[in-house]
Amino acid sequence: MTVLLQLLFQGVGIGAVYALVALGFVLIYRATNVVNFAQGQFAVVGAYGMVVTTADLGLPYWVGILITLAVMALFGALFNLSVYYPLRNRSFLPVVISTIGASIFITNIILGVYGPEPSMLAPMLDAPGISLGNLFLDAQYLTIIAVTLALVALQYLFFEHTLLGKRMQAVSQDKEMASLLGIKVGWMIMLTFIYSAMLGGIAGILVAPILFVSVGLGGQIALKAFAATIIGGFGDVPGAIVGGIAIGVIETFGAYYISVPYKDAFAFIVLFAFLLLRPQGLFGEKVSQKA
Amino acid sequence: MAAMNRPSVRLGVRAAALAAVLASFAAAPVRAEDLKLGMVVPVTGAAAESGRFAQWGAQLAAEEVNAAGGVLGRKLVLVTEDDQTSNPGGVAAFNRLASDASIVAFLGSIRSTQTQAMDPDVRRVAKPVFFGGTDPELTRSGDPWLFRCRPNDAYSAKVIAAFGVGELKLKKWAVVYSTDAFGSNGHKHLVEELKAAGAEVVTEQGYANQATDFTPVVLAIKGSPADVIGSYFTFEQDLGIFARQLRQLGVRTPWVGSPSIVATTALRLSGPALFGTYGIADFNADSSPEARAFADAYKAAHKAGADNFSSWTYDAVKLAARAINTAKSTDPKAVREAILAIRDYKGVEGTYNFDANGDGLHGYNIVKNDNGKVVFIKHIEFAP
Repeated sequence: MTVLLQLLFQGVGIGAVYALVALGFVLIYRATNVVNFAQGQFAVVGAYGMVVTTADLGLPYWVGILITLAVMALFGALFNLSVYYPLRNRSFLPVVISTIGASIFITNIILGVYGPEPSMLAPMLDAPGISLGNLFLDAQYLTIIAVTLALVALQYLFFEHTLLGKRMQAVSQDKEMASLLGIKVGWMIMLTFIYSAMLGGIAGILVAPILFVSVGLGGQIALKAFAATIIGGFGDVPGAIVGGIAIGVIETFGAYYISVPYKDAFAFIVLFAFLLLRPQGLFGEKVSQKA
Repeated sequence: MAAMNRPSVRLGVRAAALAAVLASFAAAPVRAEDLKLGMVVPVTGAAAESGRFAQWGAQLAAEEVNAAGGVLGRKLVLVTEDDQTSNPGGVAAFNRLASDASIVAFLGSIRSTQTQAMDPDVRRVAKPVFFGGTDPELTRSGDPWLFRCRPNDAYSAKVIAAFGVGELKLKKWAVVYSTDAFGSNGHKHLVEELKAAGAEVVTEQGYANQATDFTPVVLAIKGSPADVIGSYFTFEQDLGIFARQLRQLGVRTPWVGSPSIVATTALRLSGPALFGTYGIADFNADSSPEARAFADAYKAAHKAGADNFSSWTYDAVKLAARAINTAKSTDPKAVREAILAIRDYKGVEGTYNFDANGDGLHGYNIVKNDNGKVVFIKHIEFAP
C-alpha cells in the first residue's frame, strides 16, 4: 500500500510539471494554431533566471521568483515579436520551423554562457518533506502540486470570468470574427505568448531543485508535455492537465511494475494508442476540415 | 566551484585562456630540431574545459622532460589540434597532425567513442597513439598502435566486486546502471565479477539517461534484501537525483560506485546524500608520492586541483619520452617495442606495466566520500 501511494504521489508530482508545460503548448496553439517547439526552453530560461538571481546574485528566493517571472514576461513578448509575429501570415510550417530554430538558438546561448555543467537551485521550502510512516512526501513535489492546482484555478477564473480572458478566448476560436468585433487580435496573441512564457518559467522554477539546472532540462519535460497535450486533446485546457498528470502516473507505475529502462516508452505507447484509437484525445471533439 | 559558474568569471577565465594560447604561439615557435608530439584535444565544444586540463597536464610533463635534458637531446614540444568534442572533429584533428611527418607519437582522446572513430586512421598512420578512453574493446581489436594510460572498465567492475565482497564483506548486491554503452558494459562485467566472488545479485535496475525520477528504482532496492549497492552512472545529474531520492526514502545501505560518484560535479550536486559512499578513481592525489608531487606542481602552476583529465596526459607525455629515449630512435616500430617493454614505471595514475594489448594500467584506487571530502582508502591491482 505504501509503495502504491509513494508511486502515485511521485507520478502526480512529475505529472503536474508536464501539465504546466503542456498548458503553455495548448494556449499558444489555441491562439495561433501553431505548436511552439521552444516551450521546453521557456522552462530552461526560467530555471536559469533563478540561478542568476538567487545563486549568482544572492537575492532572496521570492525576489528571485518575481524577477524571473518579469524576465519571462519580457522574454515571451520578445519571442512573439521575433519568432512568431514576422511569420504570422504564413502557413503553419514556417512558424514551426521558426520555433525549432529559436529553441536551438536559446539552448546554445545558454550553453555558451553557462557550459554543460549542471547548476544547483535550492528547494523553495527549507523543510525536506513530510514522513507518514514509510511514505515520504517531498516538500518540493508538494509545492509543485499546490502551485499547479492554484494556477489551474486562477486560469479558469481568468478565462471564464474576466472580459480580457473572454477576448483571448474569442481570438483563439475565430480570429477574423474577433477582429470584426473590435478585439485587437495582435495584442491578445502577445498576451498569450507572455502568459505561456511565464507558465513555462514557473515549470522551470519548480522543477529545477529536483532535476538540477542544465540546458537538457527543457527537452526532457517538453517531449512528455507534448504527449500530454495529444492525449488530452490538442488545444484543450483541462485535457492538457489531465494528460500531463496521467503521463506522470502511468510512467511511474509502468517503471515500477514493468520496466525502468522502458519508463520513457510508456508515455509514448499511450500516445500511440490514442493516436490510433482516439486521435482527438480525451476531451477533444472531432473537428472536420474547415471549409 | 560556485564562482566558476558566474558568467563574468567564466568569461574572464576564457579570455585568460585565449591570451595564454596566443602568448604560447609567440613565445615558443616550434623549431625543426625539436621533437614533436601531436595532441588531439577539445578546445571548443562541451568538453573544452576538460581539454584545458588535459593540455595543462601534458605541458607540465613536457616542461619536466625538457628540464631533465629532453628527448634524445632534443627539446620536446606539443603540437595540438582541436577535436571540437566530436567524433568527426577528432578524426579530422588526428589526420591534420598526422600529415606532419616529423611528429613521432600522439596523444589521442579520453573518450572511447572518439578513439574508436580514430582507430582506422591510427592503423594507417602506424605511429604510437596514447589515449584515455576506458572501453575494454579498444585495445582488443588488434590495433598495435594504441596504448592506454588509464585502467579499462573490465578492471573497474573487478575492483568494485573485490572491495565490496572482499573488504566490506557484503554479499547481497543491488546493481544500478545506465542503459547506455558505458553503463550496460559495466553492469555486465560487475554481475559476472560479483558472481565469481561468491556474492548474490538480488536486483538489477537499469535506467535511461536523463531520468526525471528514480522512485521506482529506489522502491525496488528498498523492497529487496540488498545490503549494498553497486552502480554505473554515466551522468552526475542522474546520480544526484537518485542519491537524493534514495536517502529521502530511507535507504542507508553502503554504496560502491563507478568513478562518476566522486566526480567534482556529483559532489557539488549531491552534497550530504553521497556522504559515506565509496567510489573508484583512476587518479587520486594521495594514492602515491608521484601522484602527490604531480597534484602539488599542477596546483602551483594553475591554482586548480588535478584530476584524471590532466593526470593521463601527464603520464602519456612522460611515457612517450621514456620510450623514445630507451629506443634511442624515433622509428615507430622501435618506439612501440620500447613502450611494450615498460615495467613498473610509477606514473601518477598508477604503476605502468604494458601488456600485449597496449593496456598500461591494471588496477583502480578505492576512495571514500568522507563528509564531502574524497579520501584515499587503498589501491587494488590485478595481474596484467
